[in-house]
Amino acid sequence: MHPQTLQLRTQPILLKPRHEESMVAAVDTSTIKIGETSAGMLIAVRGANVWRQNRNYRYMRFGPFIFHLTEENKNDVYAVLQRACFETPRGDSHGSFPNILQMPMRMASLLERWLQAMLSRTISRGQILFDGSLTSGTGDAPTSLIREILANARKRNTVVLAFSKMTNLRVNGQLITDLSFEHKPPYLLEAIGMRPKPPMILLGDVFVAKLTKGSYAFRLDIDREVAVEQKIEAVEKLLGNDLVSQSYPETLRLAHILCTFTANEVIAMQHFVTRRCGLRLVNRPDMHKLLFGPFGRGEYCS
Amino acid sequence: MKLYKKEGNIIHILSFPNETVEKGDYLLVEDSEAAKALIVQVIDVQFANVPGVFEELLRSMPDGGDLMQGEDFDPLEIAPHITYIQDASLVVCKIRATVENDSLSSTSSWLPSRSRSTIKKLPLPVLLKLANIEGKLPIVLGGTKDSSLLTIDASSLDGGLNIITGKKETGKSHLSKLLMVNLMQYKATVVVFDLNGEYLSLGMTSDGKRNGYYDKIHVLTPSQNFKVAVKQLNLHVLLGMLIHALHLPGTSAREFRRIWQSLKERDALTLRELGETIRNWQCNQQVRDALFSRYHSLVNSGFFTDNLAEATVIEEFLFKTKEQGGTVVINLRNTSAIDRQLVVEYVLGKLVELLTSWKLKAIFLFAEEAHLYLRETYWDDIVTRMRHFGIFTTFITNQPDTIRENIYRQADNIFLFNFTNEHDLDVVSRAARVDAETVRSIARDLPPHYCLALGKVVRDFPIVAKVKALDVKTMGETRLFFKDTN
Repeated sequence: MHPQTLQLRTQPILLKPRHEESMVAAVDTSTIKIGETSAGMLIAVRGANVWRQNRNYRYMRFGPFIFHLTEENKNDVYAVLQRACFETPRGDSHGSFPNILQMPMRMASLLERWLQAMLSRTISRGQILFDGSLTSGTGDAPTSLIREILANARKRNTVVLAFSKMTNLRVNGQLITDLSFEHKPPYLLEAIGMRPKPPMILLGDVFVAKLTKGSYAFRLDIDREVAVEQKIEAVEKLLGNDLVSQSYPETLRLAHILCTFTANEVIAMQHFVTRRCGLRLVNRPDMHKLLFGPFGRGEYCS
Repeated sequence: MKLYKKEGNIIHILSFPNETVEKGDYLLVEDSEAAKALIVQVIDVQFANVPGVFEELLRSMPDGGDLMQGEDFDPLEIAPHITYIQDASLVVCKIRATVENDSLSSTSSWLPSRSRSTIKKLPLPVLLKLANIEGKLPIVLGGTKDSSLLTIDASSLDGGLNIITGKKETGKSHLSKLLMVNLMQYKATVVVFDLNGEYLSLGMTSDGKRNGYYDKIHVLTPSQNFKVAVKQLNLHVLLGMLIHALHLPGTSAREFRRIWQSLKERDALTLRELGETIRNWQCNQQVRDALFSRYHSLVNSGFFTDNLAEATVIEEFLFKTKEQGGTVVINLRNTSAIDRQLVVEYVLGKLVELLTSWKLKAIFLFAEEAHLYLRETYWDDIVTRMRHFGIFTTFITNQPDTIRENIYRQADNIFLFNFTNEHDLDVVSRAARVDAETVRSIARDLPPHYCLALGKVVRDFPIVAKVKALDVKTMGETRLFFKDTN
């Protein structure tokens, strides 16, 4: 990204909630390392689709899927899953496989893309909420796949809205979500002049979304191929059909809550792998703690 | 089950949902390498502090408090494992004994291995056998949770002080009847101060027929079939009644002693003569008035007579029970508070007299709600002095705070029925032979007719049992206004 070119339009897009019935659906996934074995590591992945219809939230949760990843099997596992999800391999732009430490995130991304693809083919005249941005060309966001998902949604008159909880985009040295404006929420501020570094491509237009009163604002990417009026209408329908607090839609919050692993679940999965699969978890000593004692895990430790 | 923690004589055990453990259960924590085992009793079952459970619960109801509708695609079937962990419980246990080479000791100073120890339920029959609770004179108290019988040894009641306490209608009187009939079977002499006339039909079956104890039950109702001839009275017994029941001052008591001596010398010990003598006695007017008012109390009680034919010699009934055992029921129902105290003073005085002269070996005294007729100083007497004479008392009450703390401290056995009131549980937990945690935790959850036996009778292994049914006519039923309409 070339930060020096990034600007925010000063004129806000003021929003009015539109209450006509429209489905709001959200996707999120999460991953966690369950433990280590002598050969590799055990990870779990889970995803959730949540949708709001007739004022009720419903969900469909997939997982947990547990994988035993080793240096030997990681490429095969990833390739098999990729094929299972998308029939044709959607390798990243470099065509290489992730290293074992990146694997948990990549597996979760794979599930997330599959869930997003499913929603884009099933939701009509609605809004699909993604967690993150619409930047493609990275290992976990192949451009062709993201384009396909967005195109499928458009075909069904559905708009994809991607909310990022964190952003690094800055204007005059300040994060775009920290800038304060005198406007009355809900409103959008369009970010212009963004030029991502190749091979990354922006498939959405970027906005700062301040949907409720208070200090919270989020980066919001909306499918670039959608007309401006449709983009605004989609956010207004979101405001009219979902609960929004702290500028964040409830549907997406629930998707996140439902897929996140709790400590209890981690213990249960450890119990499962030791009982059902006969795997023995290894307790590796924490070298940081071992070497540095109370200074072993500082907040700014790299 | 896994051993988790030991603090003092409290052990924490982690238990999983397929291992059902309840309060009161006994567990054996066995360390085979140390060749020792701990006998522990469950005093509480809590949720294990599994991390993440709070989030799990919050997540399950984010939709305004209602359960969120949805589907879970869980191909590996992890959900039952999550529930399994979530429902894990922490079993809090109290160490009761150590088993080493098949013998028991009360030590809890050793620490069993956390990794090696095996934990299993200890069936009550095994525990009863290990602790040798049954003894040579068995009394079946009732059934335990695991369908075995709790049998105690009658000799563990011998020479002891017992307390039966619990809320109303939990089965206290039923248990005391059970103990009485069993003691009678072992030829013991039992005396009951029956406040509500509950023991009058101890000799009848529930359908009103005579049972096996009929001939051994002697019901004495004051001023009816229980009267005392003044001539038969011992001066110090009568003085006891006057001073303690009728609060006669010391000076007046001294004067009464002189009057009594004078009557005795003249062989004129009758109620009428006593009245006449007080009237004509040369003494201070106030003393005479004091003596007269007490005299009228004695006369009005109807408990005293000059007619030797209608007088009852309590010794006769007590001697009858000497050979084959029996129960003398002192029926205090419909007796006024003052008269009740007179009768109790008389009976206790008589018992001490008979026991000190070895005319009786020992008696088991059952006293219901004793605070209603027992004078203050008798409490200490009963647990110390009278015990040495051979009066072995069982107090029965639904108000545990009416029994003094020192009585609890010296109680050998406590039969505890349900209590929910914190204050009541506090009082009972002062007993020396029991720990407060056990009382608070177990007694609170006891269903009606279940009793927690504590003390010598169970060799200090607190055991819960459902008191055995007894085919005896019930007399202690509360009179109800709406009984016929229901």
